[in-house]
Order: sequence, then structure tokens, then C-alpha cells
Amino acid sequence: MKAFGFDYKRGTSIIHILDPRSKFIYTILFTALTVYFVNPLVLLLVFLSSVPMVIVAGVGKSWLRSIRGSLFFIAFIFIFNLIGIFWTTGSVADALIMSISMSLRFMALISIFSVFFLTTPPEDLTQSMVQLKIPYDYALTFNMAMRFVPTLSREAQIIMDAQRSRGLELEKGNIFQRVRNYIPILIPLIISSFRRAELVADAMESRAFGAAKRRTSLYVLTMGRRDFFFILFSAAAFLAFLSLKILLGIQ
Amino acid sequence: MPIVEIRSLSYTYPGSTKPTLTNVNLSVEEGEFILLTGPSGCGKTTLCRCLNGLIPNSYGGEFNGQVIVDGLVTTEHPVYEIAQHVGLVFQNPENELFCTSVEREVAFGPENLALPREEVRKRVEESLAMVGISHLRDKSPEELSGGEQQKVAIAALLAMKPKILVLDEPTANLDPASAQSVLNTLLKLNEESGVTMILVEHRLEMVAHMAHRCAILNEGRLVLVGKPEDVLYSDEAEAIGIGIPKVVQVTKALGINKMTGKCPLTSWSLADLLRVWKN
Amino acid sequence: MVTSRPFEGVEELILFEDVSYSYSPGRYAIEHINLSIDKGEVVAILGENGAGKTTLIKHINGLLKPQSGFVIVSGMNTKDTTVATLARHVGLVFQNPDHQLFAETVEKEIMFALTNFNFPEDEISRRVDWALKEFGLLEYKDRPPFLLSGGERKRLALASVLCYDPQIVILDEPTTGQDYRQKLHLASLIKKLNSESKTVVVVTHDIEFAADFIPRSIIMSKGRVIADGDSEELLTNRELLMSASLIPPQLVELSWDLALNPPTIHFDEIVSSVKKLLEGKKA
Repeated sequence: MKAFGFDYKRGTSIIHILDPRSKFIYTILFTALTVYFVNPLVLLLVFLSSVPMVIVAGVGKSWLRSIRGSLFFIAFIFIFNLIGIFWTTGSVADALIMSISMSLRFMALISIFSVFFLTTPPEDLTQSMVQLKIPYDYALTFNMAMRFVPTLSREAQIIMDAQRSRGLELEKGNIFQRVRNYIPILIPLIISSFRRAELVADAMESRAFGAAKRRTSLYVLTMGRRDFFFILFSAAAFLAFLSLKILLGIQ
Repeated sequence: MPIVEIRSLSYTYPGSTKPTLTNVNLSVEEGEFILLTGPSGCGKTTLCRCLNGLIPNSYGGEFNGQVIVDGLVTTEHPVYEIAQHVGLVFQNPENELFCTSVEREVAFGPENLALPREEVRKRVEESLAMVGISHLRDKSPEELSGGEQQKVAIAALLAMKPKILVLDEPTANLDPASAQSVLNTLLKLNEESGVTMILVEHRLEMVAHMAHRCAILNEGRLVLVGKPEDVLYSDEAEAIGIGIPKVVQVTKALGINKMTGKCPLTSWSLADLLRVWKN
Repeated sequence: MVTSRPFEGVEELILFEDVSYSYSPGRYAIEHINLSIDKGEVVAILGENGAGKTTLIKHINGLLKPQSGFVIVSGMNTKDTTVATLARHVGLVFQNPDHQLFAETVEKEIMFALTNFNFPEDEISRRVDWALKEFGLLEYKDRPPFLLSGGERKRLALASVLCYDPQIVILDEPTTGQDYRQKLHLASLIKKLNSESKTVVVVTHDIEFAADFIPRSIIMSKGRVIADGDSEELLTNRELLMSASLIPPQLVELSWDLALNPPTIHFDEIVSSVKKLLEGKKA
């Protein structure tokens, strides 16, 4: 999961202390841009526009790791498109431009989402969901998913080690055999997740979960002036990109 | 009036034919520190769940008898209400912490109780301070050691101001130094804040001297209850096969307890006893 | 470093030569480990969490390969040997049985490793029968493992590794959550394995268990082996235990409190020393 920028670390930069909701607006707007445009230069620009935020937030290392982690997918997208488009259009140039666009689009998406997740504390994310009137149960489920991702991946590693220690060879056999090789890993993982879910439920009940219809929140997120400016700036940038299409007709 | 009263409690899990607990009777006074021990599978965990009402409220099954905690009959009140009187600490801290920061973890209980925000904040501060982990507030549970995690779990319960803490082998997954530190925290809470403790533990040499009373559960029955020295020096305890502390074994082997009428539980108390006695 | 073992001239079964390993750059999980364990030895590895114990044992069956230095197990360099090959010689039983039990029945669970190692069919059924009886699981043969009790699951995990008769047995925290009787069973199992000249490595927090049943201890702290030798010698060394954040066994505490010289981890010795003290009073 680290590849997708979920390894949030506490920080104090201006990007970190923005309200998650304002960052979410930025994320939505810029995601829309990546979907809307196909011109590789524009997509490159969208991608590059996220870089200053990475620098200001000081999350360069984790961001790089996200990008590097997604290189495999990017290569996959590139090759898949290249072959596919060449197959249908027969033009090498078209295929090349299109697959570069697709790869850039994916990279821009990864970068935008990385900025969001790398600078937003999971608990603030949950809180903003609550304040957006999403039922607390859903918000909590989301928060717990974030909390248990590392636990689960560590557990998967232990199980894999345990089964390999009993002679399981994951890389053995043809493709079907290889899928079957994972059964001794998946089953303990599923069973222990169920066990954990029961224990977590006990622990939650033991802490008065469900006592009141409307629970208190220790922190309430408030939009400040910087959020206002950030949203304004994001919207302006969004419109500037759109004007490329309106004024210059760039797709 | 006792703060915990268990009256002829028998319990069978749904789908099971054999009762896990049979006719358990125990009353605990406010401020007492009770050590509960017994072989694996004797029903300790089940008894813990009965004390905060998880059994039978969430588990169902066949429940006979009565458990009264801080004046509440557990079958007549929902778990979230009992949670404000009895805090339950589990064996594996990994599964009892589900928030992404220590502060939110501790706030979770009082938030659920819909207390005013200022009160929640106050309780978070107090609980963190009581357990001595205020410096960890911004950490994620993932980043903490097992001992620290267990302290977070304890603080998270204290934030609901329970008078009673029930701890189900809280040190089983910890290394010795962390275990010692968690146990010291419990002792401090008991002595300084008067929290009633019911601690399930195998490592008797580490805890026997902390407890006011020791209870042994065997095959679902409470077979021995009394002062730790009386229980651990008894022949019944030896027969059940709990890990009798070495100091007790040495004292018994030499008959020192019979000669002096004293039953030491720690190495230093045995050493003191021999020193005084020699002169 | 405290060491009381000769390093040359013995035929080692497990040999670590200046082994280091790190999961993330700049922080070593284990560092400059030199270690040798002979055939038929029973060894405890002690140390607080994060001392590097698990990283160390994962090097013995090749789950981790040394980043520098080398590990030789049964004459094989682990770097050039697959985990599957090493696993045939090294049985590693993990702490939590739930991390390995997966089969539909107890019987099939035991068969898993035997099938992986391509044992002939009659041999498999012979060994499964043996393991079921040896670990008291015969009556649960057709039950799904996850319906067994905690203690039974722990036994099944042991059975499913020991069934293929590995030369080296590694037990990771075998006493966690175990009661006194179960610990005694474990001790007698270790004794039995030892009598069959198996090598047994026990990773444990349970210093009382190590003191009572395991003759040699390796003490780790912060990724290094800080002491290796006779359990009695090491576990009565106050400074050493302090520096490894280990709590001394109660008999050792008693030895110190009684100012016994030398301190001991043996029950009988303590009893006879205290007896002497008492006789001194009468005289």
C-alpha cells in the first residue's frame, strides 16, 4: 500500500494544516483536469503543478516512493496503449502520443492523490467525513481500514514466512498452480482477520461504542482564511487550465 | 458493600454443550487488587467478559446467576453503560487499539458518551497523565512498543472513569521489561487512585505480592480464593498445576513457613525473613 | 562480550560469520553476528523486543539472506540455498499457530509439509499417525484446525513441523500464553528432541523457562549478541541482564538478596545453600 502514498507522517507545513476538505476540493478539481485533457503537454503541466505542493509540504521522499512504486503500472499502461492504439489506427505517432498521455495522466493522478494522503492525518480525514454528514459508522470503518492496513500487511508477511518454512514454494508450477500456492497464505489471513474483527468489536463495545446517538468529537475542523485562499487558488488554476481549451482549443 | 459481586454464575457459550463457568461466587471490595489465575482454558477470559457484560449481552449463550458491578446487574444494562463502571483490558494490544492516534484512541470512549468537548479534552489529559504517556499523544499506535500500546489501552479505559479495571493477561505478549512497567502502572493506579483491579496473569512471581487476594479458577470453578500467601502456599494450588513462584517453593521445601509462620512471596521478603530470624 | 565457548575446532551445524542485516537503510536489525551452534545443542535466544531475535532466526532457514557475512547451516551456505531446501533441515515453529493453520482437517494440516517435501505416500501416512499420537491430536484428526482450543492449536503447529523430522528445531516464543503444565510438556519435548540429538533453538522472553530448562543462552540487545554461554553464568550476571533489559529469574534474585556466592539458577542449590544458612544459625 505504501506505493500509493498511504504512509502519512505527521507534519506542520502549510499543506499539512489545511483543512482536509479544502485539499479534497483541490483533489477533485485536478482529478477532473487529468480526465478531461488528453494533450500530453497539458497533462505534464497538471503533473508538474503538484510538485510545488510536494516541496512545500516536505514530503518529497514519500512522494518519490509513490511515483517509483507506480512505475510498473505506468510501464504497463504505456505498452498496453501503444500496442492497442497502433493495432486500431496503424499510426506509430498517434499510438506514441496517446500512450504518453495515458501514462502522464496516471502519473498526475498518483501525484495529486499522494499530496492529499501524505499530508492529511487519517483521523482528520475521518473527522471531515463526519462533518460532511457521512454517518459515523462509515467514517469509522474507513479510519479502521487505514489503521489496520500495516497490521494486515505485516501479518501477511509472517504467514508467508511460516508457510515457506514448511516447504511451500510460491513460484512453483504453472500459472494455475501458482494461484493455488497462495491458498495456505490466504486462509490464515482471512481467519485471523475474522478473529481480529471479533476482538476489535469487543474492544469497541467495552469503550461504550453506540452509547449516544450523537457523539462528541474531540476536534472540530474549521475552515480558515488559508483554506479560503487555497480553494480560490485551486479554482483559479482549474479555470486557467480550462481556458486552454476554450481559448486555444486544446483537447 | 462489595463493588463486584458474582453470585452462583454459570455460563455456557452458544453452540457448546459444556459449561465454561460453573457456580462461580466472588465478591470484591472497592480498592481491592485481585489476582485471578488458573490453567489455560479454565474460563478466565470468559469470566472477564462476564464482568463488563459482554457476556451475555453480546455473546448470548446460557447465563445463570448474577453479576453485579458497582450496583449494576449486568444483564439489565447495556455494555456501554457498564463500560463506565468496568474497564476491560485485553490480551493483545494490537486488537484493542483501532484509532490512528493515541489522543483519538483515548478520546474514543468519552466521545461515545457524548460528553461536552471540554470534558472529553480534560479526561484525555488526565488519563494520559495517570498512565504517564502524555508524551505519546500524537503517535500512531503502530509506532508504539507493546508495553506502550497496553498503556494506551489502559488510558483509553480510564477516560471513562471506571471504578474497576479487569485485565485479561495484559502482559502475555510483552517482553519482561515492558510487562514490569505495565504492572507497575496498575499497582500505582490501584494504590494512588483507588481503582479496583482484577488481573488475570500466569507469571505469578511478578504479581503475587501486588495483590490483596488471589483466586484460582480451574475447569470453570473458582477453587481457591484468599490472601496470595495462603493460596500459593496451599497444597491444592500445587496440585492444580499453576506456576508456583520459586520463592514459595524454596520456603516450602525447607519448611520455613511452618517454622516462622510467615509466607514470603518475593525474594527480598524471604531474604529479610531469614536475616531477622537468624539474629 | 561474555563468551565461554571455543570457536574453532568444533563441527558446527549452524554458523554465523559476521552477519549483518537491515530492513531500512542506516538501521541494522542485526549487526556483526558471530555465532556457532553444534549438533545436539539446546540454546535459548533472549532479549527484549526489537533486539533482533526474529531477524536472527529467519537467517537460519534462509527466509532472510545475510546482507553481509554468511550463514552456514548443515554445511550449506544459506545464500545459495532455497528456503524449501533449508526448511527440510530446519523446522521453524512460529509463535502464533493462527499464522500457519489453514487446512480443512488436522490430518491434512500435518500432511502439508510432508507433501511439500515429496515424502512417499506410505511414509506420509506413517508420519501423520506418529504426529497425531505424539501430540495428543488423534481424536481431532478430522476436525478443522480453527475449531481447536488455543493449546491444541499450538500443539498442532508443533506437530505439523516436527512430523518431517528436521535436524534443527527452532521455536519462536513457545511459552507465550502457555500455563505451567503446558510449559512442562514443552520442556519434556525439548528434552526428547535433544535425546535424539536434534539441535533446538528457543527464542523466548521467558527467562524462568530458559533458566530451568535450557543449558546455553545467547543474549541479544540492539541487534548484537552481547553474551553467549552457559545459562547459569549469564543469567546470574547482574550487569549483563540490566544492559539487555532482562528481568532476572526469581532464584537469581534470591541468590543476590541472600548474598550467595556464587549465585545460582538451580533450585536444589538454593535449597541447600539456604539450609546451610539456617544451620549456621543453630550452631
